[in-house]
Amino acid sequence: MSYTLQFGQIWPFLPRLLEGAVVSLQIAVLAFCGGLLIGTACAGVKSFGPRWLARIVGAYVVFFTNTPQLVQIYFLYFALPDMGILLSSFMAVVIGMTLNAGAYLTEIQRAGFESRRASEMEAAEVMGFSRLQQIRYVILPHVAKVLFPPLSNQFIIVTLGTSMAAVFGVEELTGEAFNINAQTFRSIEIFSVTAGIYVVLTLAASVGLALLGRVLFRARTELI
Amino acid sequence: MHHLDIAGLEARYGEHTVLSGIDLTVGRADVIGLIGPSGSGKSTILRVLMGLLPPVAGMVKLDGEGVNYADATQVRRLRDRIAIVFQQYNLFQNMSVLENVCVAPVKIKKRPRKEVEEEARALLAKVGLGDKLKRYPDELSGGQQQRVAIVRALALHPEILLLDEVTAALDPELVSEVLDTIRLLAKEGMTMLIVSHEMAFIREVASRVVFMAGGKIVETGAPAQIFDAPEHARTRDFVSKILRH
Ligand SMILES: Nc1ncnc2c1ncn2[C@@H]1O[C@H](COP(=O)(O)OP(=O)(O)OP(=O)(O)O)[C@@H](O)[C@H]1O
Ligand SMILES: [Mg+2]
Repeated sequence: MSYTLQFGQIWPFLPRLLEGAVVSLQIAVLAFCGGLLIGTACAGVKSFGPRWLARIVGAYVVFFTNTPQLVQIYFLYFALPDMGILLSSFMAVVIGMTLNAGAYLTEIQRAGFESRRASEMEAAEVMGFSRLQQIRYVILPHVAKVLFPPLSNQFIIVTLGTSMAAVFGVEELTGEAFNINAQTFRSIEIFSVTAGIYVVLTLAASVGLALLGRVLFRARTELI
Repeated sequence: MHHLDIAGLEARYGEHTVLSGIDLTVGRADVIGLIGPSGSGKSTILRVLMGLLPPVAGMVKLDGEGVNYADATQVRRLRDRIAIVFQQYNLFQNMSVLENVCVAPVKIKKRPRKEVEEEARALLAKVGLGDKLKRYPDELSGGQQQRVAIVRALALHPEILLLDEVTAALDPELVSEVLDTIRLLAKEGMTMLIVSHEMAFIREVASRVVFMAGGKIVETGAPAQIFDAPEHARTRDFVSKILRH
């Protein structure tokens, strides 16, 4: 039996796929930005905070980096309602992915914090910078520059990870692809177009981020 | 009254005593040359003065007023009055030359940016870096970075400037640029403690020379005395060795 590619049949659905792509990006940006905040705070705690707090952060990181993300979101979506916390599938996915990204970003950022320059800190200290000011003016910009490439990578990973939302019925790119597939059964066409849209998304993100890094931090990132 | 008065100062790294019984008085506009073999504790004195290594005994007085290094507020006030230039420059790599100089006066001391920048430009021009304002430290030569570090310290308007081997990492041609800057400051009446291996320079610029060995001050005197007629055998030994180089 031979399968004839019929892309023509799915063109009408392209706008829906693109709408889905926008939702995917929304989830990715929300989860990544939230994760970045969590990661920065947690990395700060791990590097400079009191030991008991660093332990708690350590447990959080170990838990989220050693369990499947799907399971984490399942927990939020199906287990929390039993405790009286009701989340929409979109929120469950965003929160789950945020916590997950936060754990990975903690580890990534900590590497940057540890690469801080003791001599620059000392210079800042004798010029009257408080500990927080040292972090703000000396460590964070330096860390941002060192970390820009790995952070860009993590953003791509998060973006691709958003496809998991389809499992919970969120109508993002993969979710829409599922829906359209159920209507048309043109699986190969739909999923190859979907994959193409993911490629465009991630490619645009990496080029955009690399340019941003160049402007902001003089960071040299290989574009491809 | 002495500008800086150090008495019986002692400091340790862990169990290891690196300074003991340091007595030194520094008058206003004095330029003290600190010399001595490697590991004798020259850098440590400067670090203790800046509050980077708390002393275990002794007294430091600024304008006759004792400094308690265990008190963060007092240390902060002291750092408003004394600035240090580190041997390794310690410039902020993520900031341009101009930003390196301006960041502390603007962000920490809250002085108006416009005024600070104007002053920074003037100072940088004075040391021959007027065309490097937008450069980053890793785009400058060692001598240029060193001069940025000096200007950065000066922009804090210190009363006392501590200079640690500001010429040690430089090519001979660059040394003269940095030394010219320091000479200028000495002429303008800045109180300075200068650690250096440049004996010819110390001889010219210092009003008094302190020779250290093994964490102690061995001998203090006018440059002519230390270099031409040292009293102690240890000083004679060091001076003759280093001058022969
Ligand atoms: N961070 C440190 N931890 C432990 N010991 C140290 C530390 N820094 C310096 N020391 C020790 O303290 C002593 C004095 O060191 P210091 O740096 O003051 O010497 P110095 O006179 O500046 O020498 P140099 O001319 O080589 O710069 C040395 O024995 C050194 O090994
Ligand atoms: Mg030294």
